[in-house]
Amino acid sequence: MKRIYIFILIISAITFFMPDRAHAIPAFARKYGFTCTMCHTAYPKLNDFGQRFRDNGYQIPGQEGYEKNVFEIAPPISLRTTTGLTIYDSKQGTTSGFNIYGLDLLAAGVLHKNISFLLIYTPRIDEPAADYTGPQGTNPSQLGSMESANIVFSNIIHDALNLRIGRFEPAYQAISSHRSFYIMEPYEVYTFTTPSNSFVFADNQMGAEATGHFRSGFKYALGVVNGNGGNPDNNTYKDVYANLFQVIGKGDGQSAGQRIGVFGYYGWQPAVLPGPAAAPTGETNGGGNKPFYRLGADLSFNWSTLNFEVLYMAGVDDKALNTLDPTKGYVYSGGFAELDWALLTNNGLIASIIYNWVIPPDYDNARTVNAYSVLMRYYLGDWTAYNIALHGEYTYRETGKNSPRRENLFTALVDFAF
Amino acid sequence: MRHVKLFMSFIFLFIQSVLMINANADGLSGSAFTTINIHSLGPQRIGDLRSVPVPVGNPQSPMKIVLGKQLYFDTRLSKNDTISCATCHSPFMGWSDAGPTSTGIHGQKGPRRAPPVSDAAYSSLQFWDGRAASLEEQAEGPMQNPVEMGNTLDNVVKTLNGIPGYVEEFKQVFGETPITIEQVVKAIAAFERTVVTSDSPFDRYVKGDDNALTDDEKEGLEIFNGKAHCTACHWGGYFSDGRFHNLGTAQTGPLKVDDGRYAITQDQEDRGAFKTPTIRDAVRRPPYMHDGSEKTLEEVVEFYNKGGGDDPNLDPLIVPLGLSNEEKKDLVLFMEAALISLNPGVAGVTPIPPSVLPK
Repeated sequence: MKRIYIFILIISAITFFMPDRAHAIPAFARKYGFTCTMCHTAYPKLNDFGQRFRDNGYQIPGQEGYEKNVFEIAPPISLRTTTGLTIYDSKQGTTSGFNIYGLDLLAAGVLHKNISFLLIYTPRIDEPAADYTGPQGTNPSQLGSMESANIVFSNIIHDALNLRIGRFEPAYQAISSHRSFYIMEPYEVYTFTTPSNSFVFADNQMGAEATGHFRSGFKYALGVVNGNGGNPDNNTYKDVYANLFQVIGKGDGQSAGQRIGVFGYYGWQPAVLPGPAAAPTGETNGGGNKPFYRLGADLSFNWSTLNFEVLYMAGVDDKALNTLDPTKGYVYSGGFAELDWALLTNNGLIASIIYNWVIPPDYDNARTVNAYSVLMRYYLGDWTAYNIALHGEYTYRETGKNSPRRENLFTALVDFAF
Repeated sequence: MRHVKLFMSFIFLFIQSVLMINANADGLSGSAFTTINIHSLGPQRIGDLRSVPVPVGNPQSPMKIVLGKQLYFDTRLSKNDTISCATCHSPFMGWSDAGPTSTGIHGQKGPRRAPPVSDAAYSSLQFWDGRAASLEEQAEGPMQNPVEMGNTLDNVVKTLNGIPGYVEEFKQVFGETPITIEQVVKAIAAFERTVVTSDSPFDRYVKGDDNALTDDEKEGLEIFNGKAHCTACHWGGYFSDGRFHNLGTAQTGPLKVDDGRYAITQDQEDRGAFKTPTIRDAVRRPPYMHDGSEKTLEEVVEFYNKGGGDDPNLDPLIVPLGLSNEEKKDLVLFMEAALISLNPGVAGVTPIPPSVLPK
């Protein structure tokens, strides 16, 4: 019985720790004959070139119309998976085990000039495994999800207006969690949930997003989304958000230039669920819609191959959504500070440290988070691809303010994509 | 009212999309100077050179190549018998010249660096601004340029028709006389199509000879195709996308301002943009860039490493690279040692002395 308890504990812990899978799309590398470091500082983190490529609807900037589309190349499909050993230590004891930590099935490409798409499907990965004949685990190490499915209309107005429709990683995640080096440790403030609010900052969203970028270094993003992650919308109100960035100096703020940004999200969540009507596709019209918002700022500083990123954000939910204390709104804040350093030839080694924090209101301070992580990633490959990473990551995490739960998580993984 | 605005916005976006798609369709049937013959992207992995593309209207033949070589080295194509093609595109200078820009007839300085003739057969558009759509079309340019050979095409033909040795050779190659300018440029182009910088250590490496490159050169190759982003433009066997980019190069030389490709297309996006040159054999022809403003490959790498020059129309592909000194060194080493042609038919070509040219 004790062993079963420990088993459930470790799986729960891993699932809790683990963010959405990170992305890299080798189909692009295959299409162009580029290696990964063309678009990534080291995968999955984008460099300036990669960011501009993404901003331009997966077309090389300035080369629109000369791209081979998906009908002229091999099927643009990629896979990425991560497997290895995890050691988890907490007050309850220490456990360890080998696991598969995720699988991404990715497809992306150009359909026609200035029209492109991205699909990412993550199949459910169960512990026990699929060939286990007993009941499936209640805590899969990865949920099945159509994580991204979107189409991009680029250059509707040259550089100034691009439109992405579908399910996508919204631009209000100013520093992308999907392309973070960290596999086990999420950006805590992104994954923090508030009472009676199904909006999670880290989630990909369903909706439409307009973006633009200018030679002055200014970038913007405006979006309208369900605000319910990938789930059917739970009210008829739509959420809106905006991001404004300015890059100072040459580059795009990813690997060169200095970027500052502000972002804001304003949404509505129903206080009464579900509403009387339900669409065949699952949407409901929950009643008593109450507002919530998130505001934040981010910085990305670059010097040589050092990248220092800081994000701070605060969130406020209407008191009607605050089931813990309905007399006042739920107010929290948090952020992270991350320092990445690319070393060795062709950025073959990445070293990184990050501090995550979340400060909930006092009456919910058991969910206070302070987490410290370090990682190293060493890449294997040659001039054709650097697509295998040996990944070591350690996190010390405290949850709660007064008598915090202390956890240690160490992982040694192989992360590869093709 | 809100719904009406939303609907109108959607209609606007839809119309924009339709216009965008139609614009694409128009572009595919555009003029020679805008789209025809420009490489389409992907797959564009760097590799060994494929067979030289030969136009249907000008098939190669051994005699035509010999004739073209004679013409290439013959100063009688210029107005005062002092300048040949090889004067500015010398086999001893990597088929370019000492530069920074070239010296033409009467000691006049040209505005731009002489592009290399080697591998030019792989380029769909010729000249730094792409104003010629073939080697044949290109060959007509310098002969009648008052700063270069200072002649007229009519005079070139007249001169050649007055040389019995040439008349005989042209008759054998083309089967008819008198000599025409079309025959002249065809012969020159046929010779230029043989100047192919194949068989470099890199070519041997990609064909499976793992010892063809040293470890440092292999690291340079990784950087070339990776962190340094060189292959964003210098791709394929030719190591060039054949396209036009504004690098923010400091404009030096006779021209204070050089609009580059813009002068041909009148497209603002092309202002200050120049054709991507091949990297093959680049070590043999310093200085670099369209105006020869970067003296060495080390300077070129440093130029790119800092994110190019300052220009409001700087190509979005140009970003700072963050290369370490070791990476820069390996990158230069790759270009110097791994991309140098060992093909004796190119490196060993010597000029034809005037004494053995047709008389």
